[in-house]
Amino acid sequence: MIAKTRFLLAETGQNIWRNLALTLASVLVAAVSLALFGASQLVASAVENATQRWEGGIEFVVFMKADAEQSQLDAIEVLLEGSPEVDEWNFVTKEETFQEFTEFFADDAQLLDTISVETMPPSFRIRPADPDAGAVEALGSTFEAKPGVRTVVFATEVIREIQNNAEKISLVTLGTGALLIVASAIVILTTLSIAISSRRNEIEIMKLVGASNWFIRIPFMIEGMIQGIVGALLALPLLALARTYVIEDFSKSDNLRLLEGFQVSDGEFLFISLIVIAIGTAVATIGSIVAVSRYLDV
Amino acid sequence: MIRLENVSKEYSADSPALIDANAEIEKGEFVFLVGASGSGKSTFIRLLNREEKPTTGKVYVAGKDIVGLSSWKVPFLRRNIGCIFQDYRLLPKRTVAENVAFALEVIGRPKHVIEQQVPAILDLVGLSEKSHRLPDELSGGEQQRVSIARAFVNRPLILLADEPTGNLDPDTAVGIMRLLDRINRTGTTVVMATHDRGIVDTMRRRVIELSDGKIIRDQSGGQYR
Repeated sequence: MIAKTRFLLAETGQNIWRNLALTLASVLVAAVSLALFGASQLVASAVENATQRWEGGIEFVVFMKADAEQSQLDAIEVLLEGSPEVDEWNFVTKEETFQEFTEFFADDAQLLDTISVETMPPSFRIRPADPDAGAVEALGSTFEAKPGVRTVVFATEVIREIQNNAEKISLVTLGTGALLIVASAIVILTTLSIAISSRRNEIEIMKLVGASNWFIRIPFMIEGMIQGIVGALLALPLLALARTYVIEDFSKSDNLRLLEGFQVSDGEFLFISLIVIAIGTAVATIGSIVAVSRYLDV
Repeated sequence: MIRLENVSKEYSADSPALIDANAEIEKGEFVFLVGASGSGKSTFIRLLNREEKPTTGKVYVAGKDIVGLSSWKVPFLRRNIGCIFQDYRLLPKRTVAENVAFALEVIGRPKHVIEQQVPAILDLVGLSEKSHRLPDELSGGEQQRVSIARAFVNRPLILLADEPTGNLDPDTAVGIMRLLDRINRTGTTVVMATHDRGIVDTMRRRVIELSDGKIIRDQSGGQYR
């Protein structure tokens, strides 16, 4: 068993060494395609985080003061119920706000230390009957002067545009990434077919002296898997760079105050990384299986 | 050891390579297959280690029907059958010793077995001195000895030889035949396809003659004719 394993690993190493340029190309294609795919997921995640409170046609939010009295909250509620211009609304409690906040800034312990449930403003999220910008603003501003109200925040055109554009950006990167992943599978397949044909004499001898079919196949399969997995591992630092320099810089830009919250939490980043590794491994496995069953006639 | 029952092989419908062949070869026999090029000698040999399957008929090796053998069992059949060829088929970047060791490595033999068996078999074929040479530094006869060492290192029951002296001068060929004769005398069944009239006539072993895919003669102690 040990003898077999050692022999198989040596064979794999030799294959890669002889085929180094092509193997590197294959690894890089896998890395770039997986990084693009991962980036599309990062953008989608960040957009969702930044615009969470604006989902489902919510056009403005009435934030109450943290110390607003129950009677003041009730007064707003009565107003909302009675208004024909309000299509739908929902109330977000201090606790829910705190929950959202802690989830969102889970990786910022310093910030979390400074807040508590008590300091959170409860809010009303409102979907007006008429989504026209002018009408929304007229309706929203009627709440601004009410007792207990801290501020009214509108989903402006800018937010809508971000949602739309980010969706496009994420779709384009996703599409490109997916195409490149297919390309990556084909490159792995081709690399293996070349590795196989450059060793056809050895393979012929192996068959002749009775090497088992798996013994012949396994070095090539390991070779293909390594290409996909190393590609995925190279994609991760690229993704980390994209997260730090593109997405987080965006959210800190002074001109884009509305992009506050345009970021990706550590948990989400880890999840996306795992998906990238899983896809890299899956693509390499499929490429390897197709290659050995097509080009290795054992 | 080997039995062919009504074996026919067609690569294309109009030119069959083997037609209704019947033969039985006992353990320890030495058999020459003779006949013109294209008469079916190579097909006969390729049927015995399942490189080909017959179109119809049955092939038994060591008592087992190998036609219906599932493909994952074929390697285990081949571990009992050594093969040598006119063109030696050595790996050019491996030394003599490595070429022989390769045959053991790929069937998962442990290192200590390889280290013991390779020098022993190289000694048997008379190449101990050249074990660290590369194949292209050897003469044709020496290369064929390496390929015989590789085929025999696993002590197979059967040795198949397809024109093993085809590229060698008569004197060298005689040396190779002595080696094959010696291997045969250890109890290994040898089936050898050849064009070499001199060798067949000198050795006086069983001769199976093929012509246009048919066995036209099966004679013990025969001559080439």
